[in-house]
Amino acid sequence: MAVPVTAPERPARRVSARHFVRLKLRVLGNNFRGQGWRIALFIVGVVIGLWAATGGFFALAAPGLADEPRYALMVAAFGGGLLVLGWLLLPLVFFGVDETLDPARFALLPLSRRTLVTGLYAAALVSVPVLATLIAVAGLVVTAGALGGWAAALVAAVGAVAGLLLCVASARAVTSAFATMLRSRRVRDLAAVLLASLAALLGPLQIVVVAAVSRADWDRLTGVARVVGWTPFGAPWTAGIDVAEGRAWAAVLKLLITVLAIGALLYWWSRSLESAMVGAANAGPARNQRGTVGTAVAQLFPRAVGWARRDRFGALVARECRYWWRDARRRANLITIAVVGIFVPVMVNLGGARFAAGAGAEAGFSVTGESSPVLVSLSMIFVGVLATVTLANQFGFDGNAYAANVVAGVPGRLELRARMTAFSIYVVPLLGVVAIVVATVLGHPGWLGAMAGALLAAYGTGLAINGFVSVLGGYALPETSNPFAMNTGAGVAKSLFTLVSMIASAVAAVPILVAAALLGEVWLWLALPVGLAYGLGAALLGAYLAGDALDRRQPELLAVVTPRR
Amino acid sequence: MTHEHPALSLHGLAKRFDTKIAVAGVDLDVPTGSFYGLLGPNGAGKTTTLSMAVGLLRPDAGQARVLGYDVWGDPVHAKSLLGVMPDGVRLFDRLSGAELLAYHGLLRGMDPAVVDQRAAELLDVLALTDAGRTLVVDYSAGMKKKIGLACALLHGPRLLVLDEPFEAVDPVSAALIRDILHRYVVGGGTVVFSSHVMEVVERLCSHVAILAEGRIKRVGTLDEVRGARSLEEVFVEVVGGRTATGQELSWLSR
Repeated sequence: MAVPVTAPERPARRVSARHFVRLKLRVLGNNFRGQGWRIALFIVGVVIGLWAATGGFFALAAPGLADEPRYALMVAAFGGGLLVLGWLLLPLVFFGVDETLDPARFALLPLSRRTLVTGLYAAALVSVPVLATLIAVAGLVVTAGALGGWAAALVAAVGAVAGLLLCVASARAVTSAFATMLRSRRVRDLAAVLLASLAALLGPLQIVVVAAVSRADWDRLTGVARVVGWTPFGAPWTAGIDVAEGRAWAAVLKLLITVLAIGALLYWWSRSLESAMVGAANAGPARNQRGTVGTAVAQLFPRAVGWARRDRFGALVARECRYWWRDARRRANLITIAVVGIFVPVMVNLGGARFAAGAGAEAGFSVTGESSPVLVSLSMIFVGVLATVTLANQFGFDGNAYAANVVAGVPGRLELRARMTAFSIYVVPLLGVVAIVVATVLGHPGWLGAMAGALLAAYGTGLAINGFVSVLGGYALPETSNPFAMNTGAGVAKSLFTLVSMIASAVAAVPILVAAALLGEVWLWLALPVGLAYGLGAALLGAYLAGDALDRRQPELLAVVTPRR
Repeated sequence: MTHEHPALSLHGLAKRFDTKIAVAGVDLDVPTGSFYGLLGPNGAGKTTTLSMAVGLLRPDAGQARVLGYDVWGDPVHAKSLLGVMPDGVRLFDRLSGAELLAYHGLLRGMDPAVVDQRAAELLDVLALTDAGRTLVVDYSAGMKKKIGLACALLHGPRLLVLDEPFEAVDPVSAALIRDILHRYVVGGGTVVFSSHVMEVVERLCSHVAILAEGRIKRVGTLDEVRGARSLEEVFVEVVGGRTATGQELSWLSR
């Protein structure tokens, strides 16, 4: 039965993108095997995706359905541009990318970079968000078809697909590039700052845009839309409109721009992919830092925790503090808090007031009078709650390293109190900065007390609720060096837990809002002490109750946060 | 009073994952002062058994006692007497070696001065002082095993439970680990460790248990288990290996 050993081997069969797609589907399928709740989560994800997709579809199809050609270009350019921007930034800031097929797993296979990139790209296209986006952009085809007939619809369809490809390519390229930077010890701090400032730019940008929208007339906006249409952000989406308006040459050029952009992004991705593949095997050079300073205990405690007693609590706080800075995944979350903390309140209080004022309001920046302590408190509650959502899977960050605490028999209450303390060492100063910046930007320094009170109250209730969520709903994070990677299906789980914990925390902070609404002027003085007491009390109560739950399910928690290998 | 009890006593430990039975009722008594080797092929249930014995994994049935204290009923007492080095479990590896030791020491409620002194000594003996402030994540496999052992030893436990302490360790580090474990047992401690390397077990252990398919197949002192044969022969016979006929895999030779 033995084959002659000298027989010439058949040439290896070519590996195509099809294999990657099938591999991804198989991995997805195996993930569902015997896991009812995963299937349920997946279905929930699909339903949410379809719901968003339908909304997007009608928004983009509206100019065609209503037969309003003058809005068509604007809707396509701005709507499509936002879509690309979303695909570019959201994975970085909020959701992460699905790394069902981790590039590092392919490092040993004899695959050319070209095969690998096209394969992984094709596999990345198999996902719910892609399907949802596809449905949404089909609205553009309807618009183009209604305004320009079959030819325009056809070009719009090609443009929509090309635009979708652009979205996915940009998400992959950008996360991969940032992951590479965050991995490298040399530039990772630079990358963090870059990411933060990039996202922080969204705030001012949004103010400018909102100001422009309410000030500018339609002609000027159409002009802007025309310019956006010639950038990769708008080019794929507006090609169909151009055909409808009789500029076929423009459509051809725009499709060309799109294809070139996709090519460039894929090339960029393939460059950083290589380092991702090698990176997992060897996460950078082991820098041998000699010259020990002080004793072991002195080394463990960072300066910010110098006040802590050298006991169990102190050790837990010190270790958590070190981890919030040294773990790329945790640090990425801290950056998100900083960015969103500034961005959202400014947006709600300036932008919201401006939108509420409507197009009829006079132009200019004198909108400060339209915000109110209640609105400000509301946005502060949102920020406080959002900051603590990071802790919803705090044990997942540790993975099975948490076993050390289980073996040492750390009491649950102590554990949670220490984790809250360490997180607060970073976040409370951050929230203070947020309150000061927002109060200054709004031109109401007198509201600082009310804002800080609402922030602290919401932050405290958030700590309590997320203490529970993290103990009861922990899940494993993938063991890759990409801080943006999510496990298959974990995206939906993450979103759901986030949503539940946010709603619960916000509800728990409602009394503060009621007080702000009823007490008026007095509240501006009372808010800070009351908010502080409320938040502190909530956090301690949360640690007390959730710590009890943790004591009862320590080994189970360890099991669910242990990554499957 | 703890001397009346075995260092580790497992009774009817069982665990099932979904449909697969990982451990099907393990009874084991580890005498105080013994050097106990738990042998078994891959997938025999060694890690599952040890995890249940030290409180990392809740058993479906059965009891585990450390020097008489129930690991699941009275975890505080049991865990304070226990030092554990799990396998395939990450350490808090974004700390340096010294920081990690300080963390473990304080977590065990030790006095900071004692932690400092013991940590310095352990790092020195295990030849990890040179690593300085390098993070444990950047350590080599052998260094990770050594710092894991140091963490388990730091608080001076009465019973040491080690899962695969010699896996992926170079001969120099292995010799060092063996030496330290030997001294620990001579000093009155008890060691239980799992392995599938026969030479190490034959050289070190006073007692051996062979685990296969979730059950204890052979148990006793080293001499009782191996009799007149080598431990490897007994092991292969118990586990039921297959011998090659020479026909298959012929394409491997050119």
